[in-house]
Amino acid sequence: MSGRAGIHRAGGWPTGWRVGFAWLLLVVGGTFARAAETIPPPPENHFNDYANVVRPDVARQLNDQLAQFERATSSQILVAIYPRMQSDSSVEDYTVRVAQNWGVGGRAKDNGAVLFMFMQSHDVRIVTGYGLEGALPDALCKRIIEDEMIPRFRSGDFTGGINAGVQAMMAAARGEYTGTGRTAREAGGENRRGLGPLGILVVILFIVIASAVNRRRGSYYSPRGRRGLWMGPGPWGGRGGGGGWGGGGGGTFSGGGGSFGGGGAGGKW
Amino acid sequence: MPLASLVAPALFTVMSFGKILLIVVGLLVVVGVIIAVSVAGVFNRLVTLQQGADAAWAQVQNVYQRRADLVPNLVNTVKGAANFERTTLNEVTEARASVGRVQLPPSSAPTDPQQFAEFERAQGQLGSALSRLLVVAERYPELKATASFRDLQAQLEGTENRIAVERGRFNEAVQAYNTAIKRFPAVIFAGMFGHTPRPYFSATPGADRPPSVDFDFESKVEPKKS
Repeated sequence: MSGRAGIHRAGGWPTGWRVGFAWLLLVVGGTFARAAETIPPPPENHFNDYANVVRPDVARQLNDQLAQFERATSSQILVAIYPRMQSDSSVEDYTVRVAQNWGVGGRAKDNGAVLFMFMQSHDVRIVTGYGLEGALPDALCKRIIEDEMIPRFRSGDFTGGINAGVQAMMAAARGEYTGTGRTAREAGGENRRGLGPLGILVVILFIVIASAVNRRRGSYYSPRGRRGLWMGPGPWGGRGGGGGWGGGGGGTFSGGGGSFGGGGAGGKW
Repeated sequence: MPLASLVAPALFTVMSFGKILLIVVGLLVVVGVIIAVSVAGVFNRLVTLQQGADAAWAQVQNVYQRRADLVPNLVNTVKGAANFERTTLNEVTEARASVGRVQLPPSSAPTDPQQFAEFERAQGQLGSALSRLLVVAERYPELKATASFRDLQAQLEGTENRIAVERGRFNEAVQAYNTAIKRFPAVIFAGMFGHTPRPYFSATPGADRPPSVDFDFESKVEPKKS
């Protein structure tokens, strides 16, 4: 391009540059076209109501119960309520990828389950990890949704419906695995203490970047006015004691790397 | 050239012939070791990817088997419903039988594209026959209200979703493997070790659309009005 670029000028850009720029546009454009879907970042708590439909006291109570459930059984049951789904794909396809991405459940046991709700489209779906497909088979998930949740949703009682659904899920999954007395987050906090100065530096750097990114992204995924995503003592700054939201601590949930194979059921209210 | 003709005699004055030979042989050994190590690395990578594809294939077989196992139960439940459309039921039973006839190795990703296409076709037929059955079932409120049918429907939906998930993961694994054996250092010797490209699932055209059902009321008994 060196010799002829000077002659074949258009708009002041050498040919090679223009080709490069067009290619760059194509790549970036392609990325954005695929980014019509957003996989939300892993939630901080077991119970996450980003749509503010559940009474705060019940939400806090459910979060404590689910964290306690993880301590007792090691199974991670999560609730994530969003205003709407950030994808053009189907609910069953999207939710399984989100749950897989969060790594709910232990790596070896795959004992995670997530209750998703999307308020605008009236979608509710239970997604089960491989390890909980036995305790929470599809038919049972369907019954929980259709018998426990949807009737209450239809009468406007989201707090009651979600509470009933979560209790039913815990009742079904109890006894499937035995816990260690700690959540993955609490156990992870102890491990992270042994990181050494370099590791801590990396973590701090990550926090700074993440919070910057988080601020720019707006408050869509952080519960309004409740707490900053990274405020309070982190899991490495001394054990939070699993305080949940009450103490303003750094959340209760951290993914264990569990896998999902598409099990579960869904419904609409 | 002039440089070499200058250096070579100069070297001979400094070193003996034996020493130069030793250096050359040493260099060759070093280069040989480097090549061997990198070949081993590529080889190991291919093996890992192949294992990944095989594991993904086993999962695919798993979920398809799960669906096939549901069919007898579903057919029996539906048969119980008064005057359920015969043709839809027969279609499902036949598709289930033809799925059983296509046997592929259970633990290693298939290599024969033709066999694979046959497998995919048979499974696709069973899938569409089943979804037609579910659509037809919408016409039978008494059937839909039974707990056993509701459970079976949930299981079937869950299984279809599992199939979609595992197919997707299998495709990813196979594409990673296929790409790896076609890339430069590997492509030279991949064939020698029996690494050949593996077929993968095509996106089924129209899979995102609901199945079409023509309610042929002329020849069949009409379902009860609700």
